Amino acid sequence: MSEPVLRTEHLTKRFGGLTAVDRLSFSLAGGRLHAIIGPNGAGKTTFFNLVSGLLSSDGGRVYFLGRDITGLKPHQISRLGIKRTLQIKSVFPQLAVADNLWITAQAGERFLHPFRPATRDRGTREKVERTLEQIGLSALAQRQAGTLSYGDVALLEIGMALISEPRLLLLDEPTCGMSPAETERAVGKIRELARVIDIIIIEHDMEVVFGIADDITVMAQGAILASGSPAEIAADERVREAYLGREEDADYVEEEVHA
Amino acid sequence: MDKLLLLAMNGLIWGLIIALIALGLAIIFGLLDIINLAHGDFFMVGTVLAWATLQSTGSFWLAFLVAPLIGFLLGALIQRVVIQPIHNVAALSIVATFGLSLILQESVRITFGPTPRRILPPIQGTVHLFGIDYEVYRLFAAVVAIAALVGFFIFLHHTRLGTWMRAVRHDRDTAIAMGVPAQRVYILTFAIGFALAALGGVVAAPITTVDFRGGVDILPFCFMAVIIGGLGNLPGTAAAAILLAFLEGLISSVADPTVARISSLVLMSAVLLLRPQGLFKGLTR
Amino acid sequence: MTSAVAIERALLFALAAFLISVPWSIPALVNDFWVSVIAEILIWSLFAASVNLLFGYVGLLSFGQALYFGFGMYGVAIGISDLGLSFWPAFGLGVAAAMAMALVTGIFAVRLTWHYFAIITVVFSLIVYFLALSNKWLTGGDDGINFTLPATFSLGGKSWSFTDATFQYFFILATVALCFWLMHRLIGSPLGRAFLAIRDNDVRASLIGLNVYRLRLIAFIMAGFLAGVAGALFAFFGRYASASYMFYHVSGDAVVWAIVGGAGTLLGPLVGTTIFILVREIVSTHWEHHSLIVGVVAILVVMFAPKGLVGLWHEWLTRLTERGGAAAVETKLRTEP
Repeated sequence: MSEPVLRTEHLTKRFGGLTAVDRLSFSLAGGRLHAIIGPNGAGKTTFFNLVSGLLSSDGGRVYFLGRDITGLKPHQISRLGIKRTLQIKSVFPQLAVADNLWITAQAGERFLHPFRPATRDRGTREKVERTLEQIGLSALAQRQAGTLSYGDVALLEIGMALISEPRLLLLDEPTCGMSPAETERAVGKIRELARVIDIIIIEHDMEVVFGIADDITVMAQGAILASGSPAEIAADERVREAYLGREEDADYVEEEVHA
Repeated sequence: MDKLLLLAMNGLIWGLIIALIALGLAIIFGLLDIINLAHGDFFMVGTVLAWATLQSTGSFWLAFLVAPLIGFLLGALIQRVVIQPIHNVAALSIVATFGLSLILQESVRITFGPTPRRILPPIQGTVHLFGIDYEVYRLFAAVVAIAALVGFFIFLHHTRLGTWMRAVRHDRDTAIAMGVPAQRVYILTFAIGFALAALGGVVAAPITTVDFRGGVDILPFCFMAVIIGGLGNLPGTAAAAILLAFLEGLISSVADPTVARISSLVLMSAVLLLRPQGLFKGLTR
Repeated sequence: MTSAVAIERALLFALAAFLISVPWSIPALVNDFWVSVIAEILIWSLFAASVNLLFGYVGLLSFGQALYFGFGMYGVAIGISDLGLSFWPAFGLGVAAAMAMALVTGIFAVRLTWHYFAIITVVFSLIVYFLALSNKWLTGGDDGINFTLPATFSLGGKSWSFTDATFQYFFILATVALCFWLMHRLIGSPLGRAFLAIRDNDVRASLIGLNVYRLRLIAFIMAGFLAGVAGALFAFFGRYASASYMFYHVSGDAVVWAIVGGAGTLLGPLVGTTIFILVREIVSTHWEHHSLIVGVVAILVVMFAPKGLVGLWHEWLTRLTERGGAAAVETKLRTEP
C-alpha cells in the first residue's frame, strides 16, 4: 500500500478573517480506520467539506487514489467513490426510508430512466432489502424518513453510505445523538465496514474512537496537532492539554496509556 | 434637448419616489425573507387614500399623515394575522402575498370603482429652471421624498427600534439571544414597509393616475431596485431606484418606453446571474 | 394500506368515466356551454401541472411559466397565420418553441435557487412580454392575432376539426390525459425519484452523486413542454393568441391553482384549476369581482391547508384506512432497550 488513499497538500480554507483549515497536509493509508478528533471549531467538518467538494479551497490540493480532485463538484467527487455522512444528520425527509436507499443506489448510474417504474429493478431491490437488514431498519422501511428518531436517521445515513458502495467513507460524528444500544450497533457496523472500505471518522465520543480507530489525528485551530496510533496519542502531552477538564475522556486516555 | 431635460428630471424625481417605495420592499425582503407581490398594491392603496382624504376633508396635506398611518396599521395587521403563521415556509408566503395583491386590487375596485382618476397637484404653477418651465409640485415631491429617505435612515441608525431591525437583519439568532423581540421587529418591519409604500403613493398621486391597477407597474420596478442595489443594501437600493428611473427617463426620450423597461429588466437579470450581491457593494451598512 | 389504493383507483375510474361522458352528460344536465368550460379547465390544468412539476416535485417555484405557455400559443398562431402551416406542424412548432425557450432560459434560471429563481422567472417572462408588446407586427400585442383553424385530421373526404365541439373536447381530453399519464410514469421512475431527492435535500443529492444543475434543467424543460402543449391547445381552442397571456398574473394564477389543489400530487393541478375556473364562471355572471375570492382562498389555503386539497385528502384517507395497521407497527418497534 504505497499510494495513500487520500492525501492533502497544504489545504487551506478561510472564512473572512478566520482561517478554518490552515495548510493541512494529511495522509490516509489504505486499509486503516482513521479517526479525527479535536475540540469544536478545530476545522474537522470543514476538512470533510473541502474533501467532498461542498466547499472550495483557498489553497492547496486534494488527491484521491493519486488523482487530483481539487475543485471538482460534489457529485463528481461522489461518483469517484468518496461518500460521506453529514454532521447534522440529513436524509430525504419526505421520502420513505426504503426510497432513500433506492435513490442512493440508483444515483450513481449513468442514465436515469424517465418512464420505467423505479421498482422494477430487481438488483437494486435486493440491495435495498439487504441494506435495510444490515442497519436494522427493515420494520421502518415504509416510514417517512422525516418522522424517524434522530438515532434512526443516523442509521439510515450510514445505510445510504453503505449502499452506495464507497471506496472511501467519511463519517461525520456518526454516533452523535444515539442511545448506548444504537451506538454499540453502529460501532459494530463501522468495524465490519472498515475491513473492506477505507474510513475516516470524526468523533467526539472517546470510547468509540479508542475502541475502533487504527490511527488518530488530532486537529486544533485548523491544523494537525498530533497524529499517530491510539497509544501514542493517549500519551501525548499536548493532546492531554487540549482535553484538559474533560474527566470522562481523561479516563479513556489513562486506560490507553496503561493498556 | 428640452424634452431630454424634462424627461431626465421627471425620471430623477420619480426615482426618488420609487426609492422610498423600494426601501419598504427591501426591508420586507431583507428581514422577513418574503417576496412581497402585493407591494405595488401598497403603493396603490396610498394613492387611493390620498384621493379619499382629499374628497372627504378637502385637504391633500392631511393625506401625508393619514395614508402612512393607515398603511402602518394595515401592515401590522397583515403581518400578525397572515404572514406570521406561515413564516417558516418561504414558498407559501409568496402565494399569500399574491392573494393579498388580488384582494387589495379588487377591494379598491369595488369601493373606488374601475375608472382612473386624477388629483390636481396641491401646489400649482411652474418655475423656470435650466431653461425649461418645470412643475413646482414635482420639485416639492422630490423634497418630500428626500426628507422621508433621510428620516428613514436616521430612524434606522439612531433609534432603538431601528437598531433592533438592523440586528435582526444581520443575525437573527444572536439578536434574539441578546433580548431583541424578533416577532415585534417583524411586525414593525412589515408595517413600516407598507407605510413607506403608502407615503410614496401620496407623494406620487398628483403626478400619476389613481387607479386600482396602479401598483402593477411599480412592483417590477421596486424589485429591480432591490436586486440591482443589492439585497440588504438599503442605500444601494435607493441609489439603484434613482439611477434606474433616471436612465429609463433618458432612454424614453429617444425610444419607446417599453424598450427602456426591457433594458432595465435585462440589467436586472444580469445582476441576478453574475453579481447577486448587487452593483453597489461598497455602500453596505 | 391497500384499501386506500383501491379507493383512489376507483375514484380515478369514476373521474375518467365522467370526463368521457361529458359531451353527452353535461348538455343533458346543464347546457352545451359548460362542455367548452370543461375543455378550458383541462387546458389550464395542464398549465398548472407544469408549475406543479417544478414546485411540487423538484422544489423550484417558477412564477414565469406563462412565458412557455405564450410560446406554445404563438407558435401555433404564427405558424398558421404567417407561415401557412397545417394543424400538426403548427402544434409541433408551438411545443418545440416552448421547449427551446425553456432550455435557453433554464440554463440561466436553474443556476439560482429559492427567491432568486422565482424572481428571475418573472423577469424573463416580463422581458418577453414587453418584447411581444413592442413587436405588434408579429404578435398583435395585447389584442393578439386571430386565425382560422385548419383541420386536425383529414382522411379521404372526411375531416375532423376543432369547429366540431365534440371532437375538440375529445382531442383536448386525450392530449391532457396523455400528458398526465406521462407525468405519472415520470414520478415513479428513477428520474422522478431523483427529482424528489433534489427537492428534499439538494446538498445530500449532490453528495450521493446526482448532478443537481442538470436534473433541474431537465425538469425545467419538461415543465416548458407541458406549458407549451397547454398554450398550443389554447390557441387551437380559441383560434387566437395574445401577449396578455404571458403576463405574470397568469403565471401567478397557475401557482395558486397548483398549491390549492395540492403541490406534489398528480391530480392537484386538476382539482385546483377546476375550483377556480368554476368559481370564475359561476360567480362572474352575478358579480364581477371573483378575483377577490381567488385571493381569499389562496391565503386561507396557505394558512390552514398548505398541502392543498388533494394533499389533505391523501392524509385523511391514509389515516382512515391505516388505523388498524398502525398499532401493529408500533409494537414491533419496542424491541430496543
